[in-house]
Amino acid sequence: MPKTYDAIVVGSGMTGGWAAKELTEAGLETLVLEAGRPITTADYVEHVPPWQMRFRGLDDRKKRMADQPIQRECYACDEWSSKFFVNDHDNPYTTEPDKPFLWLRGRQVGGRSIMWGRQVYRWSDLDFEANLKDGIAVDWPIRYADIAPWYDHVERFIGISGEKLGLPQLPDGQFLKPMALNCGEEVVRDALAKHWPGERVLTIGRCAILTEDHNGRSACHYCGYCERGCVTLSYFNSINATLPVARQTGKLTLRPFSVVHSLMYDKKRNRVSGVRVIDGETKHAIEFRARVIFLCASTLESARILLNSATPDFPNGLANSSGELGHNVMDHIMGGGANGKITAPADKKPVGRRPNGIYVPRFRNLAGGPKSTFLRGYGYQGGAGREGWGRGADLPGFGADWKKALRDPGDWSFGLYGFGECLPNHNNYVEIDKTKNDAWGIPVLKIHCTYGDNEWALMKDASIAAAEMLAAAGAREITPYIDHNPPGKAIHEMGTARMGRDPKTSVLNARNQAHDIPNLFVTDGACMASTANQNPSITYMALTARACDYAVGAMKRREI
Amino acid sequence: MAVAATPDELLSLGKSLHQRIVNGKRRVLNAQQDASLLVLTDLILPATDTPGAKAAGVNAFIDLLLAEWLDTEDRDRFLKGLGDVDTRARAAFGKDFLQGTPEQQTALLVAFDDEAARWKASPEATRGPEPFYRMLKWVTLFGFFTSEVGATQEEHYAIIPGRYVPCAPADTLSPTE
Repeated sequence: MPKTYDAIVVGSGMTGGWAAKELTEAGLETLVLEAGRPITTADYVEHVPPWQMRFRGLDDRKKRMADQPIQRECYACDEWSSKFFVNDHDNPYTTEPDKPFLWLRGRQVGGRSIMWGRQVYRWSDLDFEANLKDGIAVDWPIRYADIAPWYDHVERFIGISGEKLGLPQLPDGQFLKPMALNCGEEVVRDALAKHWPGERVLTIGRCAILTEDHNGRSACHYCGYCERGCVTLSYFNSINATLPVARQTGKLTLRPFSVVHSLMYDKKRNRVSGVRVIDGETKHAIEFRARVIFLCASTLESARILLNSATPDFPNGLANSSGELGHNVMDHIMGGGANGKITAPADKKPVGRRPNGIYVPRFRNLAGGPKSTFLRGYGYQGGAGREGWGRGADLPGFGADWKKALRDPGDWSFGLYGFGECLPNHNNYVEIDKTKNDAWGIPVLKIHCTYGDNEWALMKDASIAAAEMLAAAGAREITPYIDHNPPGKAIHEMGTARMGRDPKTSVLNARNQAHDIPNLFVTDGACMASTANQNPSITYMALTARACDYAVGAMKRREI
Repeated sequence: MAVAATPDELLSLGKSLHQRIVNGKRRVLNAQQDASLLVLTDLILPATDTPGAKAAGVNAFIDLLLAEWLDTEDRDRFLKGLGDVDTRARAAFGKDFLQGTPEQQTALLVAFDDEAARWKASPEATRGPEPFYRMLKWVTLFGFFTSEVGATQEEHYAIIPGRYVPCAPADTLSPTE
């Protein structure tokens, strides 16, 4: 008889790490199953300089095109960090030919928290009330007041650097001191404050990177390449922060190379009883049992596991009496923006590599403000910098004088890059593609997802407004643009097992608990009923901690 | 060999033999091409108060890109362009590029640089593939500034800056200096 754990957590990334920490700290014997390999801080490569890389950072492009033709679309999948992304041949998925979707994935202990973008923005009631007010999809079963203490809880542990702004649409959090704006960014900040007082604000990015020593982790040393790892543990990821705490409790069992095939369902008790695993190395099937199961495998993978767990009682996927499982796939639309050259102090330049940019919070369709022709809104990330030696390619001349001229910093430039909300749409969905298995013999997903008119309208407006703001800042050579990115590219996929008030129209309740099966929780991005426009990880983490707290209480009360 | 060689030919033969020994590890470039690139890249980024492209081994890096990185079409275009340098040299001063004086070589590069600037300003720039000289100039810059000597001595690249100075004087060399 195999050991029965108190809890099984599927996934060791952003949310799996949090579930592991919260559940073990509450005293639960917890098994964390990670599909990928173990990594440690010895795998970090952020301090390997270009000259020690075979292609100096140009990447082994032929190998990448052969092994990771999809993953290489991610900016972070480079010569250093490609090892943190999956092999696309081992991990296939399918789409319709005219509906491309990029599924960018990391399978290792720590998951995508290893190379995430580290931006942290709270949601507000503008976001939680949006579906209800617009009559779109289903109402969120929670409001800001429900999640606010959990944002606090998560932020205090992680360490978030940022500036308090007092904006209703972007609530302040538990912040360490902010990183600094450079003098180019100050120019644009001041221009926005002058031209759009009280409306458009430029602030330093709020990020999960320490500006002060915090909880045994060191302040950032500005090497600039967090997505390659961090030996000083200065940015948040699972292996730097949550998993070590879970391990210290003595209650954690972490099992890498554990590819979850499906969940086991006990019809008599209406409970999930365990997990079927394919060993990643031997490919042998194994089973693990637990009293409660947390799916933290990522939006699409958690949906895949549930869809692959269909039973006679749940023929369309486990916990899918609503028929919404796998539906409402969303990803932030990104890439409406503008670039330009700005006039900033010629005798100044930033020194050091700040792994963070600026943020312009949403200013469209705010409560009490003017209404746009589109729904919801967008925010911008971006920043200012001075051109370096790369401008030599277009600088006429060569030789000693030309080499010397490249020592001076070049023009100041500024970029604004929009991230827009994606509306939930039942017709954007994933299903099991029965014609194809992955390297472990598990049926893969077929993903059907496209952006709609509202998303493109947001990006068009983001592009125009960015150019307008650069013009207000006195920029020249302003280039507005809209990148036609396929969904998935923002790596903010959400929504395949949405939370809601009604079991008939949603998969999860207000506690991330399956309406259909009380000991099943899904706390990754699958749970999201809408996307807002803010980077979502902090919300997933807060929801995870909140759900763990509830699950532990329910277990103590013998409700599950 | 019964035919008497001219001094120039002897010099050329000697240089070529020397290069073949020095550059025996090149995978795509022959000795003549390698020697030409050594001179071309070092004219673009010469040693000044810091080392130049030659010390940075830019020619070896180019050989690696030709062998493993570039698509066949781009590799062939680069090698053809490199061959054309000799054609242009013979037209300009009656010898292969390598046999020219430094002044003759520099004058030819000035012409290439002007042509590249005109190309960049022309409608061709939005359509056609980049001319050889622009490929060369970019890869020389990249190969130099990502080499250890280029990055550390010319760029003062700090692996661990230790701090972020948002508005430092523009002549600051590195955060630690």
